[in-house]
Amino acid sequence: MSADDYKVLVAKDIADLIPVFMKNRHKELEALRVALAAADFEQLRQLGHRMKGVGNSYGFNHVSTLGKSIEDGAKSGDRAALAATITEYDDYLSKVQIAYE
Amino acid sequence: MRILLIDDDEDLRNLLSRYIRGQWPDAQIDAYDPLERSMPDESFPLGSYDVLVLDYMLGRGDGLEWLKVLKQRADCPKVLFLTGAGNEIIAVRAMKAGADDYQRKQELTRDRLISSIRELTATEVERTVSPELAARMAGHSLGAKVHIPGIKVLHLIGEGGTARVYLASREDDDEPLVVKILRQEIVLNKKALERFMEEYSMVERLQSRHVARIIGHGAHQNNVYLVMEFFEGGDLSKRLAGKPVPPPEALKLFRELMFALGDIHEKGILHRDLKPQNLMFRRDGSLAIVDFGIAKDISAADRTGAGEVLGTPRYMSPEQVQGRALDLRTDIYSAGVLLYQMLTGRHLFDGETAMEVAMHHLNTQPAPLPEDLAHYQRLIDKLIEKDRDARFRNADEVIGFLARNFEQEKPEITQKLH
Repeated sequence: MSADDYKVLVAKDIADLIPVFMKNRHKELEALRVALAAADFEQLRQLGHRMKGVGNSYGFNHVSTLGKSIEDGAKSGDRAALAATITEYDDYLSKVQIAYE
Repeated sequence: MRILLIDDDEDLRNLLSRYIRGQWPDAQIDAYDPLERSMPDESFPLGSYDVLVLDYMLGRGDGLEWLKVLKQRADCPKVLFLTGAGNEIIAVRAMKAGADDYQRKQELTRDRLISSIRELTATEVERTVSPELAARMAGHSLGAKVHIPGIKVLHLIGEGGTARVYLASREDDDEPLVVKILRQEIVLNKKALERFMEEYSMVERLQSRHVARIIGHGAHQNNVYLVMEFFEGGDLSKRLAGKPVPPPEALKLFRELMFALGDIHEKGILHRDLKPQNLMFRRDGSLAIVDFGIAKDISAADRTGAGEVLGTPRYMSPEQVQGRALDLRTDIYSAGVLLYQMLTGRHLFDGETAMEVAMHHLNTQPAPLPEDLAHYQRLIDKLIEKDRDARFRNADEVIGFLARNFEQEKPEITQKLH
């Protein structure tokens, strides 16, 4: 991913919602890891679906893209792909830069 | 106004509440977490709300099941159902289960949410309805009135110059479909009605995978309708979003467009209104052309009348601007303009007015492609030659040119749209 891919523009009037949003994303990352370790594909599918639904709404389009990958990977039971996507999610959350407009 | 939000995602509940309060500061919004609470029972004061916003996947529950149960109650308010993107069959089932509107979560914006709630509560919150809202409400009620055998018309999803567009479903299997209902002012216009019916008869006989599949057509009372396949991938304008498409992908789409033109031209049909909104994507990423509203059978007598100009100015050929007789090369020009836009992310010509843009097609030489796209200059030049005699003569010629010059640029994988 290029540096630009880690930049997210968020509307100022929802800036105060972002700390909770980010906290929930980190909790989600841990839940994904736990679910993958337990091979709980239904839980992975649900988590992926939720990421897909909420990411774009806040302007974090990559969260939605990764959510779709996780949902698809859970449906097909592809553990390697899921592990790679979760690693990418970790990387994304650690590098994402938020600007407010 | 009172709104009940049922969604298992805290962040989405927070965001929707913020959007609603931004529009209606006095609104009372109750967030309902289905992970902590079961479905509202009979004692729950559902009737005290004006709108229920209900998610499809509720974690432990199924929003569709909740919808069916809650809608059986006499006091159930209007329901805005939220579904995952690209999941039209769920939208179909929700509308059949009684949802009053639906939104795809991935496309849910502040404006769309507010617009939806405003429509659902119009009688409660607005004594005077704006003309736009009144028109949309009329469109919604029209869809409910039109009876099509085997088809249920569900929800207004778009409005064009000639027709209103509805999400619909086949009653047998809930397959999502699109129903276009011609505007009354067009039905009363004999020439426009003929064009609409031509769209059906021409497209039906095409039988091409590059063209929208027509399921049926007919009339009910005074309404003329057309039933066609639903495109889950949206249209090219949504995909462009003001940005360039990577060249290999742009060429792939352009090549598909050429196959589509080859198919329609072979049947003696010109499209004459190619534009991003008329190029649709199926779920598997394949492309099809739609909206032959102004298409015309090449072999038919010229019923447009001398000098009449139809088409969208940004993509019009010079001969179209002049109102001259058209042939296959007009679609080749428009396709070239589309390719230019895909490659650069910019329109070929801009202007303050439609007329100004149209005149550029006649008189202005386009700016050359940027240096990194210079490789495509010869292709673009030969597509958008102002003198049609110097242009590619047909789609086959273009496809041959692509094969000779760009064969190695095919994208590695076909991008699927979701």
